[in-house]
Amino acid sequence: MGNIILGVGELGATNSPADCVKTFALGSCVAVILMCPKTHTIGMVHVALPESKINPDKVKTRPGYFADTGIPALLKKMSTFGCDPGGRGFIVKLAGGARIMDPNNTFNIGKRNALAVKKTLWKFSLGAVAEDLGETYSRTVTVSVATGETLITSPGRKDWKI
Amino acid sequence: MEQRATRADILAAIQEIPLLSPSASRLLQIASKEDYDINEIIEVVKCDSALTARLLKTVNSVAYGLVHQVTSIDRAVSYLGERLVAGIALEDSAKALFNKKLEGYEGPVGELWEHDLRTAIAAREIARHCQTELSKDLAFTAGILHAIGKAVLSDFLHGSASELLADIDSHDVKDYLEGERNILGMDHTEAGFELAKAWELPESLQMAIHHHHTPQEAPEEYRPLVYAVHLGCIIAMMSGSHSSDALQYHLDKHYTDYFNITNEHIAMALLEVNESVGVIQSALSEGRELSE
Repeated sequence: MGNIILGVGELGATNSPADCVKTFALGSCVAVILMCPKTHTIGMVHVALPESKINPDKVKTRPGYFADTGIPALLKKMSTFGCDPGGRGFIVKLAGGARIMDPNNTFNIGKRNALAVKKTLWKFSLGAVAEDLGETYSRTVTVSVATGETLITSPGRKDWKI
Repeated sequence: MEQRATRADILAAIQEIPLLSPSASRLLQIASKEDYDINEIIEVVKCDSALTARLLKTVNSVAYGLVHQVTSIDRAVSYLGERLVAGIALEDSAKALFNKKLEGYEGPVGELWEHDLRTAIAAREIARHCQTELSKDLAFTAGILHAIGKAVLSDFLHGSASELLADIDSHDVKDYLEGERNILGMDHTEAGFELAKAWELPESLQMAIHHHHTPQEAPEEYRPLVYAVHLGCIIAMMSGSHSSDALQYHLDKHYTDYFNITNEHIAMALLEVNESVGVIQSALSEGRELSE
């Protein structure tokens, strides 16, 4: 069994049933997980910031960094596995977007990431069937290609699935 | 039930921690001065052959991708920057602490160093937006050191993370610091402060270590630095952390008294952290492997 490990701003997809797609220690970042039931392909992008306008040059080397460019890039990647390029019929799951303890939510990058991800998904008429967003903890996400099971771990907490 | 350690046990453990190397100590003293000459840094490095070798190996690492090899220590220091030179000397001198597995925080080997490096990069970025003069190099160095107390407390916190997080979730304690104090009578900022005193670090660095989660309690003269590290630590946790205390601290909103920061600045700092941490980590580990 192989693991496809995605760093910040990276995206990847696989249809090998032996694989898992994994990303570590999401803080304010959001993992967007796309599942194509038709081709049994799993894709994931580790989004760090909401909008690419903050650094358009970065889009050329790492489109996955931003919500508005990462999701289209992931759909394009998954289309090479025979998936619908518009994501038709996909199952979507989201995790991450955490924040520091602050009742005013001053540094709301996590929340803005989550909103920007949802906005971009809506453009493709996609919505999440499961999400674990916000709160004040780090998340590591592992998705099994064989089962589609999405496991979330966080140091000091029991594992959970979405 | 297992007997928990006491404050006295922790203070005794701190006294057992080896002192920093003379080079690291001297570099931190120099870097904490408001005005210093880069030649002072170069002179210290030149007197330490192991540090000289490490710096040359680091600057010539593949990660930096320089076309021409750097063979002089003057050029190596100037390329790496004083802040990173002090950081490398510090990591070399106290690598057992920086690279230990943070078992008490359920963090892997290297987690503390990575968090410290992320904090240092973010604090340096935040320092640019200070309303008064604040040395970016000093903010970086303070960031490297700020969480050193966790290396001390980790050994005394085994198996406590789940209980501590449950107490925070149920609002029985307000944050991880209070949880540490409930268990051990001391939190990691105080443990770090005690170690900083034992190491005779400059007062500015002692204050950054002691108050990085409670910057309002720092003496007024050090608050810009301490707030830079406070914000740097938060940005580092937002950028990703593998330990149980990640994001379990409060933002002190009074940072606005010292910094003009927008959400865009925070986003830029996050970008810089993610960009730089990998390059610095790769260069340092290459330099380390080649030196050994």
